Amino acid sequence: MLGDSRPAWHGLWAFAATEARVQLHEYLSIASTVLVQVIFIFFVWLLAPPYLLPFALVGSMVFSAFVIGERVLNEAAYIRIDHKLNELYHASPLSPESYFLGMGIGVLTAYLPTLVFIGLLTEAVHPLSLAAGGLLLLVLIGVWLIASSLGYILSTLFRDMRAIWPYSTLLFNFFGVLPPVFYPLGLFPGWLAPLALVLPPSAGAALLMYVIGLESLSGGQVILAATALIIETLLLSVAAVFWSRRTSREGA
Amino acid sequence: MPNISIEVGVSSNLHPPTTDLAVSAHGMRKVYHTRGHPAVEALRGLDLTVKRGERVALLGRNGAGKTTFLKIASTLLLPTAGTLEIFGLDAVKRPEEVRPLIAVVPQEGHPFYHLTPWEQVYTYLRSRGFPRDVARDRTESALKDMGIFDIRSQLNVTLSGGQQQRTMVATVLATEAPLLFLDEPTLGMDPFARRGVWAALRKLTDRGSTILLTTHYLDEAESLSQRVYIVEHGHVVAEGTADELKRRVGGTVRVTMPEAGAHPADYESFGRIMAGDGVLHVITEPRRVSEILNLALSRGISPTVGPVTLEEAFLQLVGRAIEEDAR
Ligand SMILES: Nc1ncnc2c1ncn2[C@@H]1O[C@H](COP(=O)(O)OP(=O)(O)OP(=O)(O)O)[C@@H](O)[C@H]1O
Ligand SMILES: [Mg+2]
Repeated sequence: MLGDSRPAWHGLWAFAATEARVQLHEYLSIASTVLVQVIFIFFVWLLAPPYLLPFALVGSMVFSAFVIGERVLNEAAYIRIDHKLNELYHASPLSPESYFLGMGIGVLTAYLPTLVFIGLLTEAVHPLSLAAGGLLLLVLIGVWLIASSLGYILSTLFRDMRAIWPYSTLLFNFFGVLPPVFYPLGLFPGWLAPLALVLPPSAGAALLMYVIGLESLSGGQVILAATALIIETLLLSVAAVFWSRRTSREGA
Repeated sequence: MPNISIEVGVSSNLHPPTTDLAVSAHGMRKVYHTRGHPAVEALRGLDLTVKRGERVALLGRNGAGKTTFLKIASTLLLPTAGTLEIFGLDAVKRPEEVRPLIAVVPQEGHPFYHLTPWEQVYTYLRSRGFPRDVARDRTESALKDMGIFDIRSQLNVTLSGGQQQRTMVATVLATEAPLLFLDEPTLGMDPFARRGVWAALRKLTDRGSTILLTTHYLDEAESLSQRVYIVEHGHVVAEGTADELKRRVGGTVRVTMPEAGAHPADYESFGRIMAGDGVLHVITEPRRVSEILNLALSRGISPTVGPVTLEEAFLQLVGRAIEEDAR
C-alpha cells in the first residue's frame, strides 16, 4: 500500500536542514545565546569562589540544551499559528514525527556554537576524561530530547502567540535556573534534593558533576538521577512522536 | 525549461491509484466545538466530487465552509461525519496514504521569514523526498513561473505581501502533486501575477494533476476552472460550469441603469431585477434588450449592456439560498 511504503522518519534530515537554515539566517540570535552564557560565566569567574566556576560551566551547557525547548515551543507555534506552514508539511509525505524531531534538530544547530564554546572552556578549566566526555554528550542529548519533546507538545496547545511567550519563558527558565543546575546540589534545601534529582536539567547536571568529580552523590542518588533522566527521555520522546501524529490533523 | 515528469515525491512507485475521481466527498459534516462558545456547524452534509485532471473552484461567502472543507479533504482536519475518498483511498481513516499524493496552499499562509524564496521552494521539495537535481530544476522553473526568480535570494521577510504569496504558491506548484488544494491562492496578487498562477495551474492539469481551489475573484473562477461549486452555510447550493450557472439565473445579458429614476416595476416583465449600489440590473435574454433600451431611453435614462458575469449568478444563487435558509 502507498502509506506503508513511507518510512516513519521519511524526510527527517531534509526538514532538519530546513529548520537549521532558518535558524542560521538569524545569526544575531545565535550570537546572543553565546553572549548571554559568556557574560554569566564571566560574572561567576569574577565574583564567585573559584571552585564554583566548573559548576557554572557544566550548568551552562545543560541549561543551553534545556532552553532549546523554549525555542522549539516558540518556533513550532509560530510557524503553525502565524505562517500555517504546518499545513504544508503535514499534507505531504513528510511524517509528523519527522516534522517534530526535524524541528528539534534544526533548533539545536542554533545552540551548537554555545555548547561547543562552553564545552571547550570547560575542558580548559577542568579537563574531562573520555568517560566524562561521553556522559556529557549523552546527558546533553537526553536533556535536548526532553526539552524539544516538551516544547513541541506544549506548542500544540496554544491558539495565540501572545499567550505563549510568558509561559514558555517562565517554564524553561524556572526549571533550567532555579534547581541546582549552575550550583552544587548541597546548596539546595536538603528536603528538596530528591526533586532536584528527578527534574531533567538538575538531574543531568548532578550526574555530570558527579562523574567529573565536582559533587559527591550516594549510590542511591546516582541511580535516582540516571533512572529519572532515562525514563523521562524515553517517555517524553515517545509521547512527542505520538502527539505529533495525533495533532497532524486537527480535531483528532 | 527542463522536461519534468509527474512523480509523487517519495519514490517513483507512488502513483495515485487509477480511479476516475480525485475527490469524492459525501454527507460531509463538521461541527466545531470551542469551550465557552456555542458549537458551530460549519459543514452540513456537503457533497462534492472532482474528476482526475479537473480544475474545480469552490465559491461561497465568508464563513460558508470552504476552508473547512479544504482542510478536511487535505487530511488536516477530522470531519464530524461523512465519507471522503481521495483517489479512491479513505482519507478519513488512512490519511497517511493520501498525504504523499497531495499538496496544499493554506489560506493566508506565509513562507519562512528567514529563508529566501529559492530556499523555501528547494527545501520543501527536499523534505518531500525529491532528489537534489530534480528539486533544483523544479525550484528554478517554479520561481520563474511565479515571476519571482529575480528576487530568489532575498529573505522572504523583506518581500511584499503579494511576493510572499507567490512564494507560497511556487512552493506548492513545484511539487506537481497529483492533487493540489489551493485556498485563495491569488490573494493579494496583482493581475499579472494572477494570470501567471492561472497559466501554471493549467500547465499542471495538462500534465495530469487535479486542482481544487477557492477564490473570491469570480473572474478567476470563471476563466480558470472547468466547474464550480457554490457553497452556502455548509452545503452545496449550486454546481456546474460557469455558463450553466449563469443560465440558471435567467439570462446571459445584463442591462444596467442608474437606480435614480428607474422603477424596478417597469422592468420586471423583461427578466430578473437586481438592485444595489445605486444601480439597477435587468438580467434578460438578448432578444429583449432593444425593448428595455427603448423604454429606458424614453424616460431619459441611459443604460449600458453587458454579459452576465459569474459574479451576478453567484449573487443570485447565494441570495436565493439565504432567503430559503431564513424561511
Ligand atoms: N477552528 C474553528 N473553531 C470554531 N469555528 C470555526 C473554526 N474554523 C472555522 N470556524 C467557523 O466555521 C465556519 C466556516 O469557516 P471557514 O473558514 O470554513 O469559512 P470560509 O468559507 O473558508 O470563509 P472565508 O471565505 O472567509 O475564508 C465559520 O462560521 C467559522 O466561524
Ligand atoms: Mg476560507
